[in-house]
Amino acid sequence: MMDNAVLEKMIKEVMSSMNKEDSYTSKTESAPGARMTEANYPLSEKMGKTIKAPTGKTLDEITIEGVMNGTITANDVKIAPETLEMQAQVAESVGRDAFARNLRRAAELIAVPDARVLEIYNALRPYRSTKAELLEIADELESKYCCKINSAFVREAAMLYESRGRLKK
Amino acid sequence: MKSKRFQVLSERPVNKDGFVKEWPEVGLIAMNSPYDPKPSVKLENGVIVELDGKKRADFDLLDTFIADYSINKENTEKVMAMDSLKLAHMLADINVGRDELVKLTTAMTPAKVVEIVGHMNVLELMMALTKMRARKTPSNQCHVTNLKDNPIQIAADAAEAALRGFDEQETTVGIARYAPFNALALLVGAQVGRPGILTQCAVEEATELILGMRGLTAYAETVSVYGTEQVFIDGDDTPWSKSFLASAYASRGLKMRYTSGTGSEVLMGYAEKKSMLYLEARCIFVTKGAGVQGLQNGSISCIGVPGGVPGGIRAVLAENVITTMMDLEVASGNDQTFSHSDIRRTARTLMQMIPGTDFIFSGYSATPNYDNMFAGSNFDADDYDDYNILQRDLKVDGGLRPVLEEEVVKVRNKAAKVLQCVFKELDLTVITDEEVEAATYAHGSKDMPDRNVVDDLNSTEDMMKRGITGIDVVKAIKKSGYDDLAESLLGMLKLRVSGDHLHTSAIIDSNFHVISAVNDKNDYRGPGTGYAMSEARWNEVQDIPNAIDAADYK
Amino acid sequence: MEINEKVLKSIIEEVLQNLKVQESGITTSNDVADLKLSSVGPAAVGKRKDEVIIGIAPAFGEYQTKTITKIPHGKVLKEIMAGIEEEGLVPRVIRVLRTSDVSFIAHNAATLSGSGIGIGIQSKGTTVIHQKDLLPLSNVELFPQAPLITLDVYRAIGRNAAKYAKGESPSPVPTMNDQMARPKYQAIAALLHIKETEHVKQDAPAEELKVIFE
Repeated sequence: MMDNAVLEKMIKEVMSSMNKEDSYTSKTESAPGARMTEANYPLSEKMGKTIKAPTGKTLDEITIEGVMNGTITANDVKIAPETLEMQAQVAESVGRDAFARNLRRAAELIAVPDARVLEIYNALRPYRSTKAELLEIADELESKYCCKINSAFVREAAMLYESRGRLKK
Repeated sequence: MKSKRFQVLSERPVNKDGFVKEWPEVGLIAMNSPYDPKPSVKLENGVIVELDGKKRADFDLLDTFIADYSINKENTEKVMAMDSLKLAHMLADINVGRDELVKLTTAMTPAKVVEIVGHMNVLELMMALTKMRARKTPSNQCHVTNLKDNPIQIAADAAEAALRGFDEQETTVGIARYAPFNALALLVGAQVGRPGILTQCAVEEATELILGMRGLTAYAETVSVYGTEQVFIDGDDTPWSKSFLASAYASRGLKMRYTSGTGSEVLMGYAEKKSMLYLEARCIFVTKGAGVQGLQNGSISCIGVPGGVPGGIRAVLAENVITTMMDLEVASGNDQTFSHSDIRRTARTLMQMIPGTDFIFSGYSATPNYDNMFAGSNFDADDYDDYNILQRDLKVDGGLRPVLEEEVVKVRNKAAKVLQCVFKELDLTVITDEEVEAATYAHGSKDMPDRNVVDDLNSTEDMMKRGITGIDVVKAIKKSGYDDLAESLLGMLKLRVSGDHLHTSAIIDSNFHVISAVNDKNDYRGPGTGYAMSEARWNEVQDIPNAIDAADYK
Repeated sequence: MEINEKVLKSIIEEVLQNLKVQESGITTSNDVADLKLSSVGPAAVGKRKDEVIIGIAPAFGEYQTKTITKIPHGKVLKEIMAGIEEEGLVPRVIRVLRTSDVSFIAHNAATLSGSGIGIGIQSKGTTVIHQKDLLPLSNVELFPQAPLITLDVYRAIGRNAAKYAKGESPSPVPTMNDQMARPKYQAIAALLHIKETEHVKQDAPAEELKVIFE
């Protein structure tokens, strides 16, 4: 049995994923020359029309009315990978390369569900995982979520934890 | 015979403080230890193969992380060959700009930065801090907690603190399971005080992230890093798990900084014979390498350790300076009880207050200290007037402003009432009118009626199980008829769509405009440059209610 | 005054509890002059649901004998054990050697405890109640300010740990806070902790201890 609320939720999810495909990603990718710099910052003020939540909603569309009538949900107040890439470019324009690298790792992790992010974090803590378990996580990050940088990062941790005796005992 | 003078002296507050002698062999020394490593770096094919006298084969996890992620390798050999004393001169010299220095300082090794600041006295370090801090405008952060984890009091205290000028607010818990209530009360209360306040709830790492993901906090700070591998492991993390955590925060549009501080390693028993400042430098480098935008340091909860050894407060200032040298936001401590002596605690705070930092206190206690669940701050709510007058005396912007009793009572009452409505709408435990009244006029939790702790804890558990998010809170507030406040709260959530506040040293003004080290760069180059109070701001600072106006006497 | 059934029941329980305490002859720490701890081999996972494990730090009662406020370790241990017994449960004492961190000690104790509840205590007196399914650095109840913990509090800690082990949700032992403990004691705490940590043996398993009060 399926009630209306579940149905409505499913429709919304499908619609939002469709939105995502046809607009935001392609827009930034089709403008390779337009690298963000500090001149574009704050993006919310200077790029307000371009920035969208992962669901495709623009900042202007995220309103109290929307919250009250249910068209805006917690999923609409999240950051999109494209936006983090733009912020990484802003960071690089002011010489903050390490910070930009973090934002790019973060952009990848948006695809990973909250609960899984927490599990992976805990698995990376000392004495929590075997080498095989960490390598499995690295594979999962790469194949399931396209997290290339994070995947390499977890692989590196697996090697180093092994050599320093910080794997599960 | 006993000397009466010595009798009086022995009873002075300062003699209630604990002091210990240096013991360099176990790392009980603030800085300039004879056992600190000598600076060195060697590169082979773009890889650092020697760091501060250690070969790559002998690297521990921290050495590897720092060598591979934290140092700008392009410039490193050039900078490491420069004379440390000359670099110390450049740091103190108003004619050498921040931009030029950051290129050099981000290419150094931990031992090199420690050697450089080791040449500097506190006045020179303060000059360096005023020039090197990332954001031009200084700011301040407060703690909002209480002994009973009373959420109504948290909301009221948060509102008052926002009115008084704090741009960031931090809570924590007496009982860990209270965290969701404390985070919620702080979020709501702070926005009542002024829109745009960033709030956080300091609890265990994974729990803290969950609260952020749910939209109940806007940033995180209690993400601790340590300067030796063993202590890092005792802190239940590695540089890799912590870096992953940093990215996890950014991926959810949450601002975050790490926390570290001199004395933590020796307090946790594994200082590897190194000085407190050298180990702290390693923490700062790990932070840099993780790509985190900033760091809370200045000994923090370990202040009793550097505070007890010779030159400790100089080392604490030096660690703040090193943080800015790494181009990181610094929330500069002053957040923990440090001394029984008012003279000592004021002197300690002037080190950061006069130069100005991104957050002079990383937790000024917005409650009386007996309610401060970070075990007390260096300044508390009872010191508000002293602090305001220090700003006025010195014409220094410490981030606070004088306020009137009527306006404080008004915002406290509103915050308590709003929280009462939110709890009702979200079907949490009941907040009575009596509690709202008590929170409005309370000095601290001694003035608050007791709550049923077991019921509250069941309710927090239920709240988390039901998956209550920031959006639910916005709805609850709107339904209660507080339209402006609902807009503010939604504004806080919308921040995470753009991520502008993820950048170095970001704060938010009441129009949700982000001010950070990207659009408010520190350009101090001596007198007449850098940050200066606007006329309006100076008038606000001057205007203490108890100053007598000649016009009043006719 | 209205007395309902529940209140009446709890009063009776309390009286019975007190009787039991007297019968079982729980001594108070005042009788304790000296503490003798001897290892009886590696500590195993307990099968009894009615036990609470007290994990003591590497130097406790051996290389150090007093807390930071100079309360003898024998008295401290006796009070915690008495608190557990008061609730009708059985204390078991182990020494954790692989770490001197109080949360990890407590977590180690909880993991070995048949009830899943453990208490960790350092030589300087810092104490944690832990549960095996929580993250190591989380806790059920934490008493970070050792200088404020009195013998009464140690007893209450034992009592509450036992209540958690029975599946109850007791009111936490009231939180204490003295913001001036840090300036007075922290540097000294560092000294004591360094001395504790000198006795850590990284790969050593926890030891089961036989406890004798003399």
